[in-house]
Amino acid sequence: FRLNIEGLLVYFPYDYIYPEQYSYMLELKRTLDAKGHGVLEMPSGTGKTISLLSLIVAYQKAYPLEVTKLVYCSRTVPEIEKVVEELRKLMDYYAKQTGAKNDFLALALSSRKNLCIHPEILHANIVVYSYHYLLDPKIADLVSKELTKKSVVVFDEAHNIDNVCIDSMSVNITRRTLDRCQTNVETLQNTISRIKETDAAKLREEYRRLVEGLKEANVARETDMYLSNPVLPDEILQEAVPGSIRTAEHFVGFIKRFLEYLKARLRIHHVVQESAPQFLKDIYEKVCIDRKPLRFCAERLRSLLRTLEIADIADFSAITLISHFATLVSTYSKGFTIIIEPFEDRTPTIANPVLHFSCMDPSIAIKPVFGRFQSVIITSGTLSPLDIYPRILDFHPVTTASFTMTLARTCLCPLIVGRGNDQVAMTSKFETREDFAVIRNYGNLLLEMSAIVPDGIVAFFTSYIYMENIVASWYEQGILENIQRNKLIFIETQDAAETSMALEKYQEACENGRGAILLSVARGKVSEGIDFVHHFGRAVIMFGVPYVYTQSRILKARLEYLRDQFQIRENDFLTFDAMRHAAQCVGRAIRGKTDYGLMIFADKRYARADKRGKLPRWIQEHLTDGSLNLTIDETVQLAKHFLRQMAQPFRQEDQLGLSLLTLEQLQSEDMLQKIAQIAQQA
Amino acid sequence: MDEEPERAKRWEGGYERTWEVLKEDESGSLKATVEDILFQAKRKRVFEGHGQVRLGMMRHLFVIIDSSRSMEDQDLKPNRLTSTLKLMEFFVEEYFDQNPISQIGIITTKNKRAEKLTDLAGNPKKHLAALKKAVDSTCVGEPSLYNSLNVAMQTLKHMPAHTSKEILVIFSSLTTCDPANIYELIKTLNALKIRVSVIGLSAEVRVCTILTRETGGSYNVILDESHFKELLMLHVKPPPASSSSECSLIRMGFPQHVIASMSDQDAKPSFSMLHLDSTGEPGLTLGGYYCPQCRAKYTELPVECKVCGLTLVSAPHLARSFHHLFPLEAFQETPLEEYEGERYLLAWHVKKCSAWSVISSYMTHCTAVLAVCRLTGHPDVRWPDYKTSVYFSTRN
Repeated sequence: FRLNIEGLLVYFPYDYIYPEQYSYMLELKRTLDAKGHGVLEMPSGTGKTISLLSLIVAYQKAYPLEVTKLVYCSRTVPEIEKVVEELRKLMDYYAKQTGAKNDFLALALSSRKNLCIHPEILHANIVVYSYHYLLDPKIADLVSKELTKKSVVVFDEAHNIDNVCIDSMSVNITRRTLDRCQTNVETLQNTISRIKETDAAKLREEYRRLVEGLKEANVARETDMYLSNPVLPDEILQEAVPGSIRTAEHFVGFIKRFLEYLKARLRIHHVVQESAPQFLKDIYEKVCIDRKPLRFCAERLRSLLRTLEIADIADFSAITLISHFATLVSTYSKGFTIIIEPFEDRTPTIANPVLHFSCMDPSIAIKPVFGRFQSVIITSGTLSPLDIYPRILDFHPVTTASFTMTLARTCLCPLIVGRGNDQVAMTSKFETREDFAVIRNYGNLLLEMSAIVPDGIVAFFTSYIYMENIVASWYEQGILENIQRNKLIFIETQDAAETSMALEKYQEACENGRGAILLSVARGKVSEGIDFVHHFGRAVIMFGVPYVYTQSRILKARLEYLRDQFQIRENDFLTFDAMRHAAQCVGRAIRGKTDYGLMIFADKRYARADKRGKLPRWIQEHLTDGSLNLTIDETVQLAKHFLRQMAQPFRQEDQLGLSLLTLEQLQSEDMLQKIAQIAQQA
Repeated sequence: MDEEPERAKRWEGGYERTWEVLKEDESGSLKATVEDILFQAKRKRVFEGHGQVRLGMMRHLFVIIDSSRSMEDQDLKPNRLTSTLKLMEFFVEEYFDQNPISQIGIITTKNKRAEKLTDLAGNPKKHLAALKKAVDSTCVGEPSLYNSLNVAMQTLKHMPAHTSKEILVIFSSLTTCDPANIYELIKTLNALKIRVSVIGLSAEVRVCTILTRETGGSYNVILDESHFKELLMLHVKPPPASSSSECSLIRMGFPQHVIASMSDQDAKPSFSMLHLDSTGEPGLTLGGYYCPQCRAKYTELPVECKVCGLTLVSAPHLARSFHHLFPLEAFQETPLEEYEGERYLLAWHVKKCSAWSVISSYMTHCTAVLAVCRLTGHPDVRWPDYKTSVYFSTRN
């Protein structure tokens, strides 16, 4: 139906609307009006996508000069497909309502197999693609640099956006990378000498162009044509490529020298950590490589590959990686750290040297995006606490709001289990995690739940190692055998094929009444990308608080940086990070208003205010004082009661007027007042 | 508390934490909302359920009782099995009361197997005896939904098409151990027009949801014992007959009850045919019902004649089944303020109806009448038990 949102006519392709969707659109419109950025948290399953699409499309139609393009970024291919599906519905509805032919061009870039041809983006009104197309400098330059300033950019499922930013700017170099790079260099050398014999003019032409400098690019950027690329900072554009790497042979020689230097650096026996300037100083002293040519490495290589007309760029990924590293390390003196480790922490006997060039500041990658586009919306089901994202991404939102789920019946039941029946505290705290009693209590909890929860249960552990230890211990104590009398057990492993097989069998067991338990790991594949609707996840158990592995040097460096640059204390960040992953895990079970599920936090530390307060509002508001620090027995009683209540017949009519509105209901004064309370300004 | 006098005692509910339940009630959250939805559904059933829908009059019902390990759970008192069997006894009596010309059979499932406790039969006595005996059986292993449905299906598929074929599963476990793909079986059940309903004792299980949805049955999960009874009683009333069910003529006998007085010298005590297979008391009686075809004697109706196979019923029996064919019209809901006139609706209706439809109309209307009373502000009025004194006095 048609909605009037503060004077804007919005076409909404469904007969009913959730009150929070209306509220969401209201906040969104205010953000667009202010031409600012927004952070919006709304639980999954409440129709976030369609609210976003219908409002922004309506906005584009109403003010075609203000907003010209919608760029919708999502994380995975299935998510992108979901967006496209909703978009199609909306467009059909538009066509039906207005009778006019659709003049909107929408474009989705999902996987490589249907990668589109570049210039089309210029004309599309809506572009749907993956984060990487905008954030990863290697790809962004190819795909996104011609997006106009008046675009609205939406990052959906953005609770991990800081990590995406960091990953896209970080480089890990192993011996294998260097070996492959070596082969690349040899191939390049051969191609160059061959071309030199057959088509020397081509190389000369390239040389001439490089002397001219990258002026064209500079002109384009100044005239606001391109999205700036963090790998190609502004200063470079002012200058011409330095003479030392201008000719193709010289450049290959240069790269070779750089490669040898890196190889030497990897031949170490102890951990080295240094900053970018230290690294540059060292490289100058050892092999006389200057900072300036290093900065041009990425651009120079690209030019060379173009000149040599090499079709399959994928083969040259190693050398491209190295050149990016060279450019980044010489460009940014802050926000990065270099850590060279001779072996992995977990396997100290096997030599496997790695050079981590690690980005510590997510704002570097996303800065051009915030700087360029007039409105950037960051949204997800779990973004709490809302104030931390603007801080770590370094931007100033005009709206930050968290929306709750209006419910006709309380379909989620968060419980914090703190003790076993023997009153021993349950926690994954480092000091007690090996404790026999804790492991046994965790086992008992799972055993009891397996007897009363129907169909599927998903259990999350804090790490693979922890899961392995616990499961082995359960096996010895015979707990596993008892659990298997109630349900089948499946385990997520680091092998993707194995995991997807386990997942398939798990779903089959849930479907045919056998019942199953999936043991998986927070931050793993299952916790991020897979939904457990209805019977696939009637309960989620979170064993312990999923703190990130704190002994990692990269993490330590990042924490230090956060403390110095953004005044965020280590503990605050770690807790925030752990809680957002815990919320992600338990949120897997509820994917809509007709769904229901138990959320069991099995660690007494969750009851503390600093943890609890960082859960999303829509979970927090159902967490009463009576559901904190329970024993296993109490949990079982509450869960049984909840499951029986939820099994009662529930039809759409029951939701109407409460959590599902028709147009008339929406327009009543009473309801509008209620809606105003849904959004909580952070 | 007044609204739920029959709910299990609070202190029997384990860690139910009564203070919180009460608090939730007032603030209108969880408990209240779910109960509200239930109440709305019940009202709807009462007021709209009386439309002109033809209900199946001859029913063949198999009740599958889960006897697996989970039936030992003590959340129903004294445990799930005993409580279920007790309610089942009540159900069997009510069932034959309301559906005198129908049949019932009982199947139990445990240890991955299914076992027929009683075959399809029209006499409540045998079922009641079997149910009483089953109390002592042990609950072990897992149930098998597939096997028990299969056992029921093997019998039901031979039943004539004009009867209503039903299976009611009392399912306590959350899992089922099946030898083959149950979804294939569901398809077969659907093709045979066998309706499967499930009453769950613990929580909603996916496979039951699908099973009932595909076969057109109902799926409910109990909240407590009184709710369990209520759900079970819903199955006393026959389900709507499917439009495709055939119609056919059935021969029936209406034997006269011959009462021989002790003073009559010619009267000789004789055996009832029913006692032929029961090894219990000899049962020599004076009077009885005599089959109009072969003159075999029975002490109770309804029954299928052992000698000639004629279905023997009494007129009131048939009448009680007959009202399923022609349901009465629904009552109009009128607020008390607008209502002027007699408040004794029940008396009025009984007066208006003709001689033998009194029994049937009383039976259907009495629920509705009491519902009206409920609306007039007497929440204590309970849903009636169908067995009432009025009924018995008219019967004999």
